[in-house]
Amino acid sequence: MKTRLAILILVVLLALLPAYAGKYALYVAIHILLLSIFSLGFNLLFGYTGLLSFGQAGFYAVGAYGCAKILLTYPSLLVGIVGGVVIAGAVSLLLGFLCIRHTRIYFSMLTLSFGMMIFSLAWKWRDMTGGDDGLVGIPRAPLEIPGLFKINMAPMENYYYVVLAFAILAIYLFHRIVHSPMGLAMQGIRDSETRTACIGISVRKYRLLSFTIAGLYAGLAGALLPPLESTVTPPLAHWSHSAEPVLATLLGGVYSFSGPIVGSVLFYLLKDIIVRFTEYWQMCLGIIVVVLVIGFRGGVVSIFSRKGGRR
Amino acid sequence: MKAILRTESLGKYFGHMAAVHEVNLTLQEGLFTSVIGPNGAGKTTLINLLSGYMLPDRGKIYFREKEITRLGPDKRVKMGISRSFQVMNIFPRMTVFQNILLPVLSRLNKTSSAFSSQQSQKEAVGEAEKILGEVWLQEEKDSPGGELSHGDQRLLELGIAVAANPQLCFLDEPSSGMNPIERIKVLELVKKLASERKTTFIIVEHDMDIVFSLSDWIVVMNRGEVLAEGKPGDIRENQVVRDIYLGEEI
Amino acid sequence: METLVFQGLVGLSVSMYLWLLAAGLTIVFGVLGVLNFAHGSLFMLGAYFTFTYYGLWGVNFWLAIALSLLSVAVVGYFMERFFLRHIYHLDHAYQLLLTFGFILIFDDAVKMIWGGVAKIPPMPSFFEGTVSVVGRPFPFYNLFIIGTGLAVAIVVWLLFEKTWWGKMVRASASDREMASAIGVNIPTLFTGVFVFGAMLAALGGALGTPVRVVAPGIGAAMIIQAFIITVIGGLGNLKGAFVGAIIVGTLSAYGILLFPVFELFLIFLIMAVVLMVKPQGLFGG
Repeated sequence: MKTRLAILILVVLLALLPAYAGKYALYVAIHILLLSIFSLGFNLLFGYTGLLSFGQAGFYAVGAYGCAKILLTYPSLLVGIVGGVVIAGAVSLLLGFLCIRHTRIYFSMLTLSFGMMIFSLAWKWRDMTGGDDGLVGIPRAPLEIPGLFKINMAPMENYYYVVLAFAILAIYLFHRIVHSPMGLAMQGIRDSETRTACIGISVRKYRLLSFTIAGLYAGLAGALLPPLESTVTPPLAHWSHSAEPVLATLLGGVYSFSGPIVGSVLFYLLKDIIVRFTEYWQMCLGIIVVVLVIGFRGGVVSIFSRKGGRR
Repeated sequence: MKAILRTESLGKYFGHMAAVHEVNLTLQEGLFTSVIGPNGAGKTTLINLLSGYMLPDRGKIYFREKEITRLGPDKRVKMGISRSFQVMNIFPRMTVFQNILLPVLSRLNKTSSAFSSQQSQKEAVGEAEKILGEVWLQEEKDSPGGELSHGDQRLLELGIAVAANPQLCFLDEPSSGMNPIERIKVLELVKKLASERKTTFIIVEHDMDIVFSLSDWIVVMNRGEVLAEGKPGDIRENQVVRDIYLGEEI
Repeated sequence: METLVFQGLVGLSVSMYLWLLAAGLTIVFGVLGVLNFAHGSLFMLGAYFTFTYYGLWGVNFWLAIALSLLSVAVVGYFMERFFLRHIYHLDHAYQLLLTFGFILIFDDAVKMIWGGVAKIPPMPSFFEGTVSVVGRPFPFYNLFIIGTGLAVAIVVWLLFEKTWWGKMVRASASDREMASAIGVNIPTLFTGVFVFGAMLAALGGALGTPVRVVAPGIGAAMIIQAFIITVIGGLGNLKGAFVGAIIVGTLSAYGILLFPVFELFLIFLIMAVVLMVKPQGLFGG
């Protein structure tokens, strides 16, 4: 009950944010929401299924470029976003077939290599992706269902609400998934692959499902970006971008539901604070990672929860 | 008495070493069977081959006259074969309840369900509660599996093995690593499960008390081959068997 | 035809840098079981230290290289002794994460100490000039690199096959407990192997300074290729790393020539194919 109340209050606060926050704060809030979606998907793979992917940014980029290309020809927000998600999902399903047959270290390296393959495509394939200039002039297309309504997205608050709505939907769905039988099967794979196979569960099938869902979430986060920034560029697919959900989740807590979300907030907060004192915020982030891995693998959430994370 | 499992010239080799060689075994349904033998006799390898954990290099395996030689472990479970492991293989981060719930869900083919909650699977939940009671672990149902005592983890291990409601269940050294008190508890549980469930148990054991008090049939292995098999009394009298144990009290 | 030969030699010289990097990476994985993401950073530090000693302070070229090997050895020692050692028992994922954190730290540390602008150190005078290969001028220094790379490969091979230390290392790689039982001090050995691997990487970076740019991020760019090489050759396999380095180096050289847009893509594709077809690598068991 208490948790539900807390969540309700949080949602209300978030819904009221535009009333007391300026444009820049909304901009940052949108980015935090995007990172949360991105990180939740990543953690389905890592915290729940035990697979560490260093290539999620590849799917993020596919979602972003997909949405961008759609919006450049048919400026309707929903079509662009859904289109971007679907394309990202298809690509992750395809690559998933190739990646999930392998054990953990090889899996991580394969995902790294596929992510970078997507990066090199984005960088070099000028005709399709605009090369290292990327795609520019992407409109913040109106939210419309022909015949029903058409809402202008130029004001930042309007777009904020769209992103918030998608984020809430994504979080809700994620909650259903991880508490479902499928979610339990994935956790079984994380805890003991051999045992999971020996109780009749096809390990490959659930790894693929986990991988595809993670790809869809990355794609959603990516698809929500172009209308905000109006440009998409190759670094979106680079492995250093793949590191963001990894860091956010590690920060917040790998083995908890809200860890990726808490971590995303912390990530931006930390970045904001650190940047005021030094330009070497990457190093500070690195130090935080080292400290977390050696001492606090359960992340911030574990420090505050009673059970505590040990592994 | 029907044959539930049959092997033909089963063999598994690691380089020049024969872990299992020319094993022709027929296991009868309903007969509690123990596989014994000195260390390195190939007992665990045999279980691994029969449960699908390893693939044989030679020979065939039949479950109720259906060939299963190259089937993966998950397919064999669907057919009614399950196992427990010598080295504890539970799900440490999941709760005790979830440890049992997962194999039950798998058996009921509910694991593809992505949007309904685990709790709403009434049939599975009910069964899991029952099995939890069977293995005396209701008290710990919300604790993470990894936090249980060693002995309780073994009980959980057995619970996971029977949660699949198997017709044939392999237990690999269930008393391994247990102190005397835990050993008694495990023995009690195996005895109880054997008598209350319609499952044929095949166990690998070193503890001769357990072997001789529970078994209807004993298979003796040595150097990868079946040396002898028969009723407990016959095995006890068998000179060849006594020799390989070099005068141990069996 | 001449172009192919020429480009092949170019590729071969690149292969030597890659070999030095990949060798350390694969040895560390084979013995310690750790995949050191930050290995490229050690390569980069080797380049920066050499630039400082030789390019800035005017120290003799050979001495500068020796000094930078020592400097990186110290860095490597600290990394292993005070950080990596604490996480050997953990899932590989955490090792990747920890070493990734080190990449971030080293990248910024380098910017902090040396500034973010790329450096171009001078060429030692006795290496200046070119040699005519198939009628085209080929930098003499690159020939030196090829020769040095081969020499190091032979030395390393001898070290591991013929010396007592090498035998201990190989024994510990295949069976840690057994090695410990016969008196090998595993923690010290691990530190030693890690430092050795770090020095190999540093050597690669150091040797590259006269011809390659010294800038932040050069390590990160190469670590991925080093991964690819160790995968192709087989994790933990030195011979495989050497062959893999030659494959990747020459392929990327030919790739730039023949498929200028997609040579990066090509290399990744090869790794993906190897992983899917023979994940233990060409020489893996």
